[in-house]
Amino acid sequence: MSTTTSMAEKPLPSFDIVATYRRILAQDDELTMPVAAIEALVEAIAHSTVSTVAETLALLEHHTAVLKASIANPISLSAGTDLFQRYLVTTLNRPAALNLGPSDDFRIIRNHLLSNGKLFVDRAKQSREKIASFGTSFIREGATVLTNGGSRVVGALLRRAAESSTMRFKVVYVLSSSKSSDSEGGLKTVADLRAHNVPVAVIPDSAVAYSLGKVDMVIVGAEGVVENGGIISRLGTYQMGLLAKSKGKPFYVVAESHKFVRLYPLSQFDLPIEQKILDFSIAADAKAASATAKPSEDEGVADLNNRRPGLTSDDGVDFTPPDLISGIITESGVLTPSAVSEELIKIWF
Amino acid sequence: MSETAAKEAVQPPTESKDAKPAEGEAPKSAEGETAKKISPAELKKQKAAEKQARRAQQKTTSGPAATPQGPQSKEGAKQQQKGSKQAPKDDKSRPIPTRTKPSQTNIAPPPPQQQSKREAKQDPKQLGLFFGHLYSQPRKHSMVGTSKDVHPAVLALGLQYSSYTICGSTARMVAMLLAFKALIESYHTPKGTSLSRHLIQLLGPQIEYLRDCRPYSISMGNAIRWLKDIIVKTDPSTPEYEAKRDLLEEIDMFIRERVTAADKLIRDVAVTKILPGDVILTYASSSIVEQTLLQAHASGIPFSVIVVDSKPLFEGKTLARKLANAGLKVRYFLITGASHAIKDASKVFLGAHAMMSNGRLYSRVGTALVSMLANAQSLPVIVLCESVKFTEKVALDSIVGNEVAPPEELLSESERYALLHLKPHLPKSHPVTTEETPAEGAKSAPSDVLKWIEASKNLHHLQVLYDVTPAEYIDMVITEYGSLPPSSVPVVHRLSTNI
Amino acid sequence: MAPGAALAPGLTSFLRSLKTNPSEHSVDHLIALLKRRQIRNSRPCAVATTALIEKVVGEFKGHDAMKLLDRVRSVGRRLTAAQPREVVVGNIVRRVLGLIREVVEDNVGGDLIGTSETGRSTPTQHDHGFRPPLNSSISSFSPLRHAAVEPMDASLYASDMSDSGELSRRPPLLSSHTSYAPTSSAPLVNSLFGLFSQPVDSSTNVSTPTGQASPDGKGAHSLNLDRLTELNRSQHFDLKGEVMNGIQELQEELEQSDKQIADLAHEHIHANEIILTHTASTTVQKFLTKAAKNRKFTVVHAETYPHDNTATHEVLLTGRKQGGKAQDEDDKWKCLTELGIPVYVIPDSHVFAIMSRVNKVILATHTVLANGGLVAAAGAHLIAQAAKSHQTPVVVLSGVYKLSPVYPFDLDELIEYGDAGAVVPYEDGEFVDKVDVEHPLYDYVPADLVDLYITNLGGHAPSFLYRIVADHYRTEDVVL
Repeated sequence: MSTTTSMAEKPLPSFDIVATYRRILAQDDELTMPVAAIEALVEAIAHSTVSTVAETLALLEHHTAVLKASIANPISLSAGTDLFQRYLVTTLNRPAALNLGPSDDFRIIRNHLLSNGKLFVDRAKQSREKIASFGTSFIREGATVLTNGGSRVVGALLRRAAESSTMRFKVVYVLSSSKSSDSEGGLKTVADLRAHNVPVAVIPDSAVAYSLGKVDMVIVGAEGVVENGGIISRLGTYQMGLLAKSKGKPFYVVAESHKFVRLYPLSQFDLPIEQKILDFSIAADAKAASATAKPSEDEGVADLNNRRPGLTSDDGVDFTPPDLISGIITESGVLTPSAVSEELIKIWF
Repeated sequence: MSETAAKEAVQPPTESKDAKPAEGEAPKSAEGETAKKISPAELKKQKAAEKQARRAQQKTTSGPAATPQGPQSKEGAKQQQKGSKQAPKDDKSRPIPTRTKPSQTNIAPPPPQQQSKREAKQDPKQLGLFFGHLYSQPRKHSMVGTSKDVHPAVLALGLQYSSYTICGSTARMVAMLLAFKALIESYHTPKGTSLSRHLIQLLGPQIEYLRDCRPYSISMGNAIRWLKDIIVKTDPSTPEYEAKRDLLEEIDMFIRERVTAADKLIRDVAVTKILPGDVILTYASSSIVEQTLLQAHASGIPFSVIVVDSKPLFEGKTLARKLANAGLKVRYFLITGASHAIKDASKVFLGAHAMMSNGRLYSRVGTALVSMLANAQSLPVIVLCESVKFTEKVALDSIVGNEVAPPEELLSESERYALLHLKPHLPKSHPVTTEETPAEGAKSAPSDVLKWIEASKNLHHLQVLYDVTPAEYIDMVITEYGSLPPSSVPVVHRLSTNI
Repeated sequence: MAPGAALAPGLTSFLRSLKTNPSEHSVDHLIALLKRRQIRNSRPCAVATTALIEKVVGEFKGHDAMKLLDRVRSVGRRLTAAQPREVVVGNIVRRVLGLIREVVEDNVGGDLIGTSETGRSTPTQHDHGFRPPLNSSISSFSPLRHAAVEPMDASLYASDMSDSGELSRRPPLLSSHTSYAPTSSAPLVNSLFGLFSQPVDSSTNVSTPTGQASPDGKGAHSLNLDRLTELNRSQHFDLKGEVMNGIQELQEELEQSDKQIADLAHEHIHANEIILTHTASTTVQKFLTKAAKNRKFTVVHAETYPHDNTATHEVLLTGRKQGGKAQDEDDKWKCLTELGIPVYVIPDSHVFAIMSRVNKVILATHTVLANGGLVAAAGAHLIAQAAKSHQTPVVVLSGVYKLSPVYPFDLDELIEYGDAGAVVPYEDGEFVDKVDVEHPLYDYVPADLVDLYITNLGGHAPSFLYRIVADHYRTEDVVL
């Protein structure tokens, strides 16, 4: 992508990408962060006056950077922005494939994007529904499922399974005691399931190993699926993966395909975000500390702040390597981690 | 003095075939004389020479002399008795492998040729792959060449061992002690020796004969050591009848304490581990596991049992039958279906042949597989084992010390029938096809299949009886001293042998 | 083969009857054979199915590709319903369906493909010219196909129609339970970009993007084929002929599969190794005999009682498998013992005991599943697990025709149970009365217990199998 000359061109000064992003998220709480990011970027393009490919790409880069800088955990969001960027790069550089004349390619794309903004959102939601329908095949009659939420897809999947009249299963839901909005979402899911006559047991993180003896499978959601087939998800997921593996229980991840991120972490500490989970301090520090437990900002939550003090254990994320994962359920079916790598390689190369 | 001792010592070796130096030395050590320092070494040499002579003799005479010998009539009668006893058993249940001896299955060809051919063949064929070290002696199936000192009860016992009629570590030990009781009862100390010395010597041939029929179980070995110990400790001045009476009582007490009472204690503890709704999986047949399950059932706990079994002994079938007759819900699988069986199980109970000092379980072959599956599923594996089966030996794998079974047993009668039709398809170079067909026409017996296998240069059947289960697959060992982790086996062994 | 005498129902009699009977009759015949288990095991079923489909296609009249697809699909549905556990039947049907689609796409001009918009062209984005795309696009019926990389440019793309069909058509691992299969069939790439592409080219897009509801998806697809059939009529290409050619290639592949696997034997078996195997599998025996030609090793063979032990002994004694069907004479092979390889037969219970001395485990399988796991004869799981605990490599030999694109959601459905009378005969009535005797014929072996798959395309890690599935099957066909 060439960005040298077009850096001079700036978007309209009044366009605030971050505010747009937050507004979009706030409008629809079913939205995931990546899709909201894409929507915001689309709006950015709409508001701008760029007319060439290079300018557009530069604009995009600029906005993406601003967006990422403002959010403490930009991983999930970057899945969307990177995908969008990639899409634009490939389509805009391939006018011949579009069977269009060289002069009007850009405008057509632009119009297409702008007029179909809503469609992206709808399709994203549909993918969630599709995944949920797979779930009924996964959860066998009489099974006990362990989950820590981590994504609204998981809730949808469990709910869908509960609604099917023939399925009898039990759920063990891991809820952290913090008052993040994630746990609120979790409580809501629990209440929903119970309303559907599904027995749900709520346990804290510390009881996961204890309960694994009675569990048949583990299903978790993810914020991002990384290049080697591993996942980035809510803090506590890695723990569950390790325990499930040591007890021989299958560990499934549900993730829509637009969450695939171009990252290759080697360890927990190799993520591009700052996490203050291991925060050593001594007595003298305690007095000076002004720690506040921020509400978490996992996907779908509208509460974002512009500060980036680093994530704490309330809203932290961890990385689960692919050898702990039995399968990743996307709307295209169940993938093995190696299949995920292949898909990502295909896009990014 | 040492000379007479040496002479006496020489006598038993001439009677016995392969006197183990250890057994010869035990009575020597009882003498407590300084002379014993020299004589054992000499004795060893003498015995070794004797052994060689005996062996050479045996090789030349055992072949052709097998059938037409004096004791043959007695042996024949006994065999017929055995045969008739076994025949009705065969009729009833076809698939149970016919544990007949080779001398019974052959109709036309004389047995000795078969036997010598087999013995001769065993040398050129590469024996038993990595079990070659266990093939030192072919198993004895007849009473040919037995020392005349062997008591009739022991003779019968030996045949029962080699035909698997009595099978199972504890059962064999108890049967052996009972046979020795008979021996002691009918024993009279000859003039000029003391009971303690002579009886020990008399035990020698019995033990060798039994070992030739089937190698010892660890429990048998422990019992023999204990028995010799108490015989040796008998005060020479006690009158014979009293000494005999005491010995018999001791044996009774031993059986009572180490087997009967131990079993009761083990049962009581094990029953507490069976919870309502459990599905207990067990492998082959162990008497103590059977007792535990029956006791638990009798006390009203609702549970069900899965029995996993394997060929050729199919011991699990008898267990399943007994349990089902008692009213338990039993499911029966063969070892190939074990992966399915284990999915429904909640606990695994296993019997033992022996517990090794490095915490490994020495038990019926296939136990290791079942434990491995249970471990993979995090099911608790509980071993029920009396302390009499503990040993100070260690084993790293199943190959180091094992018992090889005759390869003929791999194919049961019915299986051999099923393969008969292959005769015309045998490869051209197979020695059997180059033989002349018997004049009687095409009636081939199932034993022909065995002949094909033996004749085939490269095809071997291999069968061992035991395997070693790694300690990490075992969660708990229940003995009469309490429950322990497998790593504490040497502790208990020391306790039990020091009492 | 008994000349003229009535043959027991089985593969040979079926193949013979195919020549004389109409196809509908033959379909019923095969269904009956499958239901009654008179034809069993993967290879015979595969051969029978291929022959049947060949007949069905042969009798098909007209040039309408869609009708042909429907016909084959309906036959396939009936066959798989007759015996759901013979997965290979479904595999063959799906291969043929994919073949038909490929033939159609080969012959249809480039303009159809060209009109599709970004969704269609998105796959070409990969080949920016500086890096070849990774999805293989060579015809899956070439037996020497590996999932290799083929460089492609966009310019080539328009002209090289034979590749277009396969491009980026990696079928994800779907279950047959979901009705969303056709629509979500678009590979992730498309679905990832599909978020953007759909509204532009909904109807012409052959590779349906995500987000479409299932009825539309199927509709879009058939819509496309309608267009294709229109074009077909106008272009008069020999649909039947090409499909028949493809089926014949498939038959050849079936025949050659064992030989091709055996050709790799010398790479994997070395001198003085002790190999453990079980069951009387033809594939394994041929593999070992090929290796025996220039290597000296030892084989330890587990009996697989009671499932296969008679056959195992037969194979070891005579080097030929007996069974209901008569073998062609050239299917005989010299048994291992004749070639100087010592073979030790052990009961299945001994597997753990001897595993510490075994260098390699070679297994045959009934079916290979898309997640890398396999359904093999009972006892395979024991062997694989014991090998794992001793860190012994496990190699599975299997032709590609055994590879199934269906994701195994319910493993219990795949396991067939046999006659309990083989375990304990019914004469022992008292026993059978009181005791539940079970006789599972197959075991599921999870993918992490297998180290290597050797197929007629070469060796692969279990994690790579999804790619081979993608190369050979179309996602639209996963649900019959």
